Amino acid sequence: MTSGMTGVGGGYTVRRFTPERSTLGKLVARDSAFRRLDWVMVWACVALTIIGSLLVWSATIHRTQINHGDPEYFLIRNLLNAAIGMGLCAGTIVLGHRRVQSIVPILYGLSLVLLLAVLSPLGSTVNGAHSWIVLGGGFSLQPSEFAKITIVLGMAMILSARIDAGDRLHPDHRTVMQALGIAILPICVILLMPDLGSTMVIVTTVLGVLLASGASNRWVLGLMAAGSAGAVLVWKLHILKQYQVDRFAAFANPALDPAGVGYNTAQARIAIGSGGLLGKGLFHGTQTTGQFVPEQQTDFVFTVAGEELGFLGAVLIILLVGIMLWRACRIARNAPDLCSTIIAAGILAWFGFQSFENIGMTLGIMPVAGIPLPFVSYGGSSMFAVWIGVGLLQSIHMQRPVSA
Amino acid sequence: MSDQQRPGRSEVPRPTGPRRGGAVRPQLSGHSHTPARSRQGASQPALRLGRPRPRLRLVSALLTLVLAAFVTRLFQVQVIDASAYAAKADFNRYQPVELAAKRGDITDRNGIPLATSVDAYDITADPYLFTPGQAKAAGAPQQAARLLAPLIGVNQDTIAKQLSTPDSRYVVLARAQTPQVWDRIKQLKNTLSKQAARHGAPGLLAGIIAQSTSKRIYPNGDLAAAVIGFVNGENQGAGGLEAELNSELAGQPGQATYAQSGGELIPTAGGQEKPAVPGTTVELTIDRTIQWAAQNAITAQVKASRADRGYVVVQDPRTGQILAMADAPSFNPNDIAHADPSALGNAALQDAYEPGSVSKLMSMSAIINQGVATPETHVIVPGTLQRGDHVFHDDVDHGTWDLTLNGVLAKSSNIGTIEATGELGTTQPEANQVLYSYLRKFGIGQPTGLDFPGETPGILAKARNWSTSQQYTIPFGQGLSLNAVQATSIYSTIANGGVRIQPSLVKGTVGPDGQFTPTPAPPRRRVVTEQTAKTVAQMLESVVGNEAGTGVSARIDGYNVAGKTGTANRVDPATGTYRGYTSSFMGFAPADDPRVTISCVIQNPTVGSYFGGSICGPVFKQVMEFALKSLEIPPTGTPPANLPVNFK
Repeated sequence: MTSGMTGVGGGYTVRRFTPERSTLGKLVARDSAFRRLDWVMVWACVALTIIGSLLVWSATIHRTQINHGDPEYFLIRNLLNAAIGMGLCAGTIVLGHRRVQSIVPILYGLSLVLLLAVLSPLGSTVNGAHSWIVLGGGFSLQPSEFAKITIVLGMAMILSARIDAGDRLHPDHRTVMQALGIAILPICVILLMPDLGSTMVIVTTVLGVLLASGASNRWVLGLMAAGSAGAVLVWKLHILKQYQVDRFAAFANPALDPAGVGYNTAQARIAIGSGGLLGKGLFHGTQTTGQFVPEQQTDFVFTVAGEELGFLGAVLIILLVGIMLWRACRIARNAPDLCSTIIAAGILAWFGFQSFENIGMTLGIMPVAGIPLPFVSYGGSSMFAVWIGVGLLQSIHMQRPVSA
Repeated sequence: MSDQQRPGRSEVPRPTGPRRGGAVRPQLSGHSHTPARSRQGASQPALRLGRPRPRLRLVSALLTLVLAAFVTRLFQVQVIDASAYAAKADFNRYQPVELAAKRGDITDRNGIPLATSVDAYDITADPYLFTPGQAKAAGAPQQAARLLAPLIGVNQDTIAKQLSTPDSRYVVLARAQTPQVWDRIKQLKNTLSKQAARHGAPGLLAGIIAQSTSKRIYPNGDLAAAVIGFVNGENQGAGGLEAELNSELAGQPGQATYAQSGGELIPTAGGQEKPAVPGTTVELTIDRTIQWAAQNAITAQVKASRADRGYVVVQDPRTGQILAMADAPSFNPNDIAHADPSALGNAALQDAYEPGSVSKLMSMSAIINQGVATPETHVIVPGTLQRGDHVFHDDVDHGTWDLTLNGVLAKSSNIGTIEATGELGTTQPEANQVLYSYLRKFGIGQPTGLDFPGETPGILAKARNWSTSQQYTIPFGQGLSLNAVQATSIYSTIANGGVRIQPSLVKGTVGPDGQFTPTPAPPRRRVVTEQTAKTVAQMLESVVGNEAGTGVSARIDGYNVAGKTGTANRVDPATGTYRGYTSSFMGFAPADDPRVTISCVIQNPTVGSYFGGSICGPVFKQVMEFALKSLEIPPTGTPPANLPVNFK
């Protein structure tokens, strides 16, 4: 890819003056869609998904009360979710982020309707948060996962419209306020569920979007201040459930009630710590087989890696996450227009914060919040959403100049 | 163009300014002129407002920093502190916990519970959590003990000592506490843990746990306690039927696997739980109300006579079922710890005693059945009788009596009995052999068939081993021993027309499905002919009915009562020599259609009369009257047989 000479403008000349290429030739040609994908990122995400499937399998093989007596129940479901997710990713690439962009108002409206449906009697509560719509047959939908995408797309549309049209260089206050309006509505609904984790992710994503949009520093700093003020307000108005308050208290003081509130974190840390350098081997973690860590196939999946794959396995996951984020950052930087930059940056902030919060809470350097680890945790909605995110990033990546 | 793009690959941040995309929108066609435009864009002065790409550069720097922090933290947790966490992981382990099976009830013949089980909790503790390191306070065991002692009724120092057990993770503080007690402990535990949470310490009672179990209770207190028995601290039968039928009553304990983490037991996957199979309910042949009457009567008489003990057995002669088996003094099975250990058994089955004159019934049955004599046969009874090296007397000194055989029984003459049984064979050894065979057929010297724990078969030497004096004492009930149920069975055999039915205490079982399974019918065997039984029953009527009889105290208005007194020399269990008396009265009613057999035995009465007729006759009468009413048995209305007692 780096031997540059034929690449420059080759798209035009070669295609016009050489004979028709074979299908295979088209596929492997420098300008083919396949060659233009950011394979480094794709492989990192695929690797995370495969590792995740193994970890989910190991975490649920003994959980007979939830796996319906089938040790492979979660493995099969997770692989199915991943396959659908990758399909959605491919679909997004084929469609292209620009065409997606053109239907953003519809998508945004749809996600808002789904979010509101969660609050209606259609919604159901899992682990204290009323954020699911149960579809039956063991399937359920978590609309807040998809809201993350539509918020990014919606904000990108508003923030970039006049700038990409060449009218302005930077978004003015009015535009920024409109864009924030797009985000505020779903945030409020999600906060009512109350799904604290998703709210934190979305606020961080909005911050990423604003940073990338070129909005004034005052807005960025202002949003941070508003976030803090909002947190205080949420606290004072008792919107949080007691368990959520307790989690923060347990984070501040980990020794607090190791049998109660601090149980998750204490057990998670014991799982990771007891893994040592090389781990106890897949399927051989005593903490994992003993089911001492709650929600180990979803939010605490990293502890399986820590215990069974050891320091090396855990670092491998962190490295893969790093590669994924590095490539996402690179795509954002190289995006040809502001709209693409904003979308890429928003997804970057989303993936980044979610990964850091998830791994951080298992390591005790972040408070516990119910957030899945992208690509690794079990969970259909999350899996679909992150792969759609990858699709959008790839679509943005593909519009770069051939040799870039 | 290539030199413009090369930096774009190697030094990522620098080259392309924000693209003002309007012109770029067509996908691939636009590259050629983009760089120029972007240059222009970048060159425009826009310093006041945020620029996306430098900011993204900042973001990637931050990302790198966070990733590095994670790897560092991971290194700390997994490499530096690994052994500490591994030790903590070792503390987490599976702990199999037995799920107590509900012990089956023991009910009377009408299904009224005599023993039942209720939910209870064993209060246990994890001493590890009371160590100063875990409790975050010194003296935690003492403080906890002070709080728990009044709740579970255990000495404070004992609890403190248990909670201080080194290297232990499980001690039992108190067994079978009521749910109310555990509720109170739980409340205290929660309050304390909330208070302690403010100082970042676990609650003082965090290491106190309860395990669900069941407690055996006996709703009627000491009623039939001797029969039912009791359970030990582990809820296993330790006496009486509780012990005998333990395997049926106990059921099969289940097992659940708990994950133990710190002091908490976490139930794990449902599939690993094996549910407990509840025990079988056992329905006894005991009738609660008759048992109550029997127990009241014997308790009062034993007390009045200052006797060592006494027992009453009530049996249905037609089925062999025991309707009551009362023992005095008794005990309260709900509180075994404070019971008199000597009262814990079931003396009616566990005491072997010399029966004395009540045994003459067997001698008479043998004589009549062998055709040696009839009730009217004349027996001249001298005041004393020399046999071997021994001179025999009757209970009362008398000159020569001219009695019928019936009279010998009615006046309970030992001398007359010795003379009559001598006729059973042409030689004394032959007579001994015949008598022995009847005694065996009546069940003497053999287990009753109840299989009751600790039951005695009594002692009956083989005929050829009878000593010189024994061959003359055995006919009137000394020199052999039996238990009260064996004795009762003799009378029931006569009452049942000469057919002995093995006694039974268990009517049937009720499984967990509520299905009643009756106990198989007990074995029966004929001992004497029906005619013999009828004749002997009439002779027993004279004992009670004839003014000269010894059992007049047992008369019941309207009913013909058949019975026999017994006043035996008693072997003092302490010395092994004769000292004191065994007083008894046994019989059945109505005499011509027997429905109830009752025996009353009082060991070593020390106050008032010691004659069986005087102290056991009234007990017999009291219980018999009650039983006849309770079982709604009408008088037969036939006139008494009135066999002659004298022949002159």
